[in-house]
Amino acid sequence: MTNDNSNEVLQEASNSEGMIKIQNLKKSFGKANVLKGITTTIKKGEKVVIIGPSGSGKSTILRCTNLLEEPTSGEIWLDGKLINEVDPYNHDDILKISSTFKKLTAEGYSEELALAEIKNNILIKSDFKEGREFVKAKKEFKKANSININEARARMGMVFQHFNLFNNLTVIQNMILAPVQLKRKTKEEAIADAEKLLDRIGLLDKRDVYPSTLSGGQKQRIAIVRSLCMNPEIMLFDEPTSALDPEMVGEVLDLIQELANEGMTMIIVTHEMGFAKKIGTRVMFVDQGLVAESGTPEELFGNPKNARLKDFLSKVLY
Amino acid sequence: MNAWDIFIRQFIEKEGYTLVLQGLGTTLIIAVAGLAIGLIIGSILAIVKIIPGKNPFLLVLQRFADVYVALFRGTPMVVQLLVVHFVLFPSLGIHILSEIEGTIAFGLNSAAYVCEIMRGGILSIDKGQTEAGRSLGLSYSTTMIKIVIPQAIKNVIPTMGNEFISLVKETSVLSFIAVVDVTKAFQTMANSSYEYVVPYLMLAVVYLVIVLIATFVIRILERRLRASDKR
Repeated sequence: MTNDNSNEVLQEASNSEGMIKIQNLKKSFGKANVLKGITTTIKKGEKVVIIGPSGSGKSTILRCTNLLEEPTSGEIWLDGKLINEVDPYNHDDILKISSTFKKLTAEGYSEELALAEIKNNILIKSDFKEGREFVKAKKEFKKANSININEARARMGMVFQHFNLFNNLTVIQNMILAPVQLKRKTKEEAIADAEKLLDRIGLLDKRDVYPSTLSGGQKQRIAIVRSLCMNPEIMLFDEPTSALDPEMVGEVLDLIQELANEGMTMIIVTHEMGFAKKIGTRVMFVDQGLVAESGTPEELFGNPKNARLKDFLSKVLY
Repeated sequence: MNAWDIFIRQFIEKEGYTLVLQGLGTTLIIAVAGLAIGLIIGSILAIVKIIPGKNPFLLVLQRFADVYVALFRGTPMVVQLLVVHFVLFPSLGIHILSEIEGTIAFGLNSAAYVCEIMRGGILSIDKGQTEAGRSLGLSYSTTMIKIVIPQAIKNVIPTMGNEFISLVKETSVLSFIAVVDVTKAFQTMANSSYEYVVPYLMLAVVYLVIVLIATFVIRILERRLRASDKR
């Protein structure tokens, strides 16, 4: 029965255009290679949970998804639109007009071999010769396919470990700032919507207080509804409960679960394994900058195949 | 006649008080105007220094800001005053009141310090505030203007107060370019009566009172801006 379900999920994944497409994402901080090539597609309505040991790059994936961190290479696509720089690695047709490709084919390499050589060796060593046509093609591709980063971020809500409510603004001001500034709503509409959301989480009485007076759980729930004020298509949760006192974790997870039930697309980085199991339609185990194993929660938690995942689970599930 | 009587006679009967009041006015106006100029130029320099980016025009501006700060923090105020009065304006062929030259010199000097204070204030704001703003789709400038800078200003008020206080005291070198400030006024009285004790002690008291009043005003301002921390 679970098998049937997972097949269906996989089937759907391959058929429909992904809402978020991450292609060969790499990120290094100085000499530390944090992400070593992440490729995944997140469909509308999916709830992808990312788990893994600390330092494995989970949060970096999330932060690269809305470009809070600039990827070193690789591409992030939102609804068929590129939001960062063009990475030639992902585009054979653009690579084929580069000076290096022409040089290699002239030397007798077949097209496939030349491409493989460029991708595997030359791009990394950065002695890749672009040539004017290549630069032009890259620019044209970007122009035709990309959207403005602020536009993209407005469609992706992000919830942080440390809440990050604006300390100089009251709760209601926190919530209406972005929609009003970006002219998504009039001030009146924004206030009405914000009040509805506050009422929903039972914090309408906190409407006019400053964040410093709120508990962690209240801050995080307000941070979540602040994102919702922009009517995002996808929500990114970066360890939303890691900085909370234990008795406040439940209220925040309940709210996330509610959103999930309403069909919100989500990527969640979390250490709450029980929650991951319950909410996830797909779980990704990230280890040392790569997706080590990925599948339904039943597969990953019930029958882990990767040795590191088994080790990780034995440590976190006691 | 004792020293006090001599001072009183000079101050009241010989109308020394008009000179002192005039000097006091000059001191305060130049200090306040200097800080205002410093705040405007200094804030602009701070923002220039903080904006991330590889735009070549921006890099040139940032280099300029670095040199500016090094120059004005690395030389004494008196020297800057002398250079402005005897070198800068004469070489430009501009003749203006020494008071205005003094104001400009103090403004330019203060800008260097304000720049560093503002920069420190902006950097002291948690990166999460910027990230939250940007993740909602706000532009860099909107995030700075609506979120980071208001919080930074609140944090720098005490240091800015410090800057104003030292500015008030530093204006005592204005007599180098023949501006009659409060120091010069008392000095004139002392020189004409050969009685130095009371005038100079009074001068010290005048500065002390100005600084105490300024401290009080800054504290009120700070308390009002801190409203969002409590409640």
